[in-house]
Amino acid sequence: MKRSISVRQTGMLCVMMILANKILLLPSLLYKTVKTDGVFVVMALFLVDLLVLGAFLKLKFAYPDKKLKEILDCHVGTILTKIIFAVLMTFFIFKVFLTYSIAFMYLKQQVYQNEFTLLAIVCVLPVINHAVLSGLRTFSRTIELFYYIVVGLFMLCLLIALGSFKQNPAYFIAMPGDFAMAIIKNIFSFGDYVFLFLVIDKIEIEKKDVKRLFKYALFGIALVISLFFIYYSIYKTTAFMHNYAIADILTITVEFNAIGRLDIVAMVTIMMLSLFQMEIFHYGFCECFVGIFSKLNKIFAVVVFDVMFLMIYFILIGQYETMVLYEQTWLPYLGLVADYVFGILCFTLSYLSKEKNKIKKNKRDGYEGDHVIESQGDMLVTEVEEPVEKEDLETLAEQGLNLQGGGNEDSQNA
Amino acid sequence: MSTFIIQDKIDELKKILHQSSDVSSRVLEKGQAKIGFFYLKSMTDQELFSMAIYEAAKNYDGKVDIETLENQIIQGNDVKKIKEKEIVENVLKGGVIIFVEGEEEILSVDLLKFPTRTPSEPPTSPVIQGPREGFVEDLKTNVTLLRRRLMSKDLVFKSLNVGKYSNTQIMVSYIDGIADKKIVDQVISKLKKIDIGGVVDSFYILTFLERRPDSLFKQIGNTEKPDIVAAKMLEGRVAIIVDNSPIVLTVPFILLEEMQSSNDYYTNHHYSSFVRVIRLLGLLVAIMLPGIYLALELHHYNILPLNFLITIADTTQGLPFTPFFEILFIFILFQMLYEVSLRLPSYLGLATSVVGALILGDTGVKAGLISPPGVIVVALAKIALYTIPEQSAQISVLQVLFIIIGGSLGLAGIVCAFIYFVNYLNGLDSFDTPYLAPYSPRVTNDLKDGIFISPITELKTRPRSIKNKNKVRLK
Repeated sequence: MKRSISVRQTGMLCVMMILANKILLLPSLLYKTVKTDGVFVVMALFLVDLLVLGAFLKLKFAYPDKKLKEILDCHVGTILTKIIFAVLMTFFIFKVFLTYSIAFMYLKQQVYQNEFTLLAIVCVLPVINHAVLSGLRTFSRTIELFYYIVVGLFMLCLLIALGSFKQNPAYFIAMPGDFAMAIIKNIFSFGDYVFLFLVIDKIEIEKKDVKRLFKYALFGIALVISLFFIYYSIYKTTAFMHNYAIADILTITVEFNAIGRLDIVAMVTIMMLSLFQMEIFHYGFCECFVGIFSKLNKIFAVVVFDVMFLMIYFILIGQYETMVLYEQTWLPYLGLVADYVFGILCFTLSYLSKEKNKIKKNKRDGYEGDHVIESQGDMLVTEVEEPVEKEDLETLAEQGLNLQGGGNEDSQNA
Repeated sequence: MSTFIIQDKIDELKKILHQSSDVSSRVLEKGQAKIGFFYLKSMTDQELFSMAIYEAAKNYDGKVDIETLENQIIQGNDVKKIKEKEIVENVLKGGVIIFVEGEEEILSVDLLKFPTRTPSEPPTSPVIQGPREGFVEDLKTNVTLLRRRLMSKDLVFKSLNVGKYSNTQIMVSYIDGIADKKIVDQVISKLKKIDIGGVVDSFYILTFLERRPDSLFKQIGNTEKPDIVAAKMLEGRVAIIVDNSPIVLTVPFILLEEMQSSNDYYTNHHYSSFVRVIRLLGLLVAIMLPGIYLALELHHYNILPLNFLITIADTTQGLPFTPFFEILFIFILFQMLYEVSLRLPSYLGLATSVVGALILGDTGVKAGLISPPGVIVVALAKIALYTIPEQSAQISVLQVLFIIIGGSLGLAGIVCAFIYFVNYLNGLDSFDTPYLAPYSPRVTNDLKDGIFISPITELKTRPRSIKNKNKVRLK
């Protein structure tokens, strides 16, 4: 039974997964190193991200219905596959944690101003756990429903902030060394598209949809870059003091028609974006966990995630400052391996597949008339698709409808 | 099959029916022939029985046997020959059983009669314009009401009986050529599997049809109006009509159906769209307003406009309750008044309103027990709840949950809970139809009859989020 998500839903995931952890602390952190040229650091890192997205698409078209585990097992062996999954698992849990730390530290400092930590965990963990257990298709649908609300709120923030826009600050002032250092130091905040590799078999995409997917990705990137420009233009020399970019660009706006503080718009946006990003990366963690321990199910993965999350929070780190320090010290190496090295590996695998297909084709041409026996284990053989009801496919596949069965696909499988 | 000795057979049947007091039998001796009649007084038209059967047989000149009774004496009635094992079933359905001593065959004449009400406007779905007929408790009348609207050879009614003691007749109805056969088969198969003592109302079988019976949310559509059922069947849905119930169930069900009203299709589509937006707002206000108010008052008061904050501070000063308990108290008070008004005789309704609104509300505020903003917020939420009356039970539960969440976790809790419930709803599929379609997943074609409705001339295709065989509605 196919339980896939559409291109539209994948595109929306692409937008949601890059927003949350780049719109609060990152602009201020980058300003400390490279001043306003932080915006170019972000552009450079996004460029690499787009290449990773390209590598994903290459791999997807090379192995249309295969799981990442199957692809890796076939080419690099089981042990290396498990190591790769372990690295990705670590990458994702820290990604969740980073998002959580930044977003909820903002809420604690700006809104709650008291013991919010436990309450936040109480209300966040059940929601993201439920989303993960209900499956990719279900939470993709949820993201699809909230997409316009979240993007609309985000754009509203930018629009309101434009009222405080006076003049552009100076750009191209950072030294190349600082620029390179800023890229390396903040690499962990990027590389979100690696998530797509884990759900490669659950995404329905054809070659004609590539443009559409890139449009979504570019739209998300454009939103982040616009925020950077507006933020640096508003704060100019004091940007390092303002740690919550999307909210801070609203605080100096005048009250409109006495409707109260407008940063509530940013607050709601941050809450939603953070939750969705955490859901996505939590799902990535669980996929990796199931990939390593194939005999254990997703419920077990969720429990392990919760325990690890709480342990990291209370025992290892516990403090927002420590998390930010980690993000700038050793987590970039993890990001480098998990995202870029892995991206290059996948890109290579997609070419390997092409080469093997060529050899296979040549062989087939050489033995004309012979019957080619297809084996399930052979990754190069095109799978014969099961007949699917034409009626449903015609009308619904494009729109992301997958009418077979219920929504809780993963929990049912489990 | 053996021949009958009338008295023995009547005694045997009486014994099977536990000598029930409404069992009646008569024996007519006509020449050498001995004719036995057996029926339930409570279920048959006795006047018709006397005139059309008993007197007709008594006055008939000639030899009376089963053939004569069937073909000459009892004319114009629903007469059929039945087997011996079908006797009890026919008696229970209002049939008069006729035996002739010495003969093997048995006749059953359908003289079912019971008090029924005539179709009238259902109190739960009144309309300003459009048909005012509603379903009644009688299955046959309900079938007629549907047939009148869909005079097509493709309208199918499949009958089955459910309930060990109630033996309730259930009709599964659909339009052949539009409805998806798989859904029809699924419904019939689910109904056949029901092994229950009795089905008193259609809500008894509703749970058996739901994919998640333990869920708070409604997964099966229900209505009292034949025009709504006919319209839904024309979209490819399957209707389930239960005898003795004026509520007809329809599947598949999507949440958007609750935003739609039959009135929307009988008025200008711009107005209908506007009203649907109001209903959506009503739904959100009903669910979240008290929770958001509490969250703002307790956790995010710095976000509130200054004038509003001063008003709240002024009115809540000196209250004996905390804001959380105040809202909860007012909410429970309103819910109690609602329950009382439902159960009290109508002549006491006015008294309840006076006691509720004036004495409890006004005096409560004057005595400083509750604050005016608190009363306004809860009252607004309670009124908004009835923009979608069909979901009032579910929304009431959600209101309490959001009050608790808003009070304890603030706005972050409300956002989390909202996303949680949307995610939960996305996991609910009713007969393979996504619950939040056509918005999640987006089905562009169906948006024409979404929150914004297009004119009927634009609704050229049937909903694609619901499985159906024929996509074209208008050529």
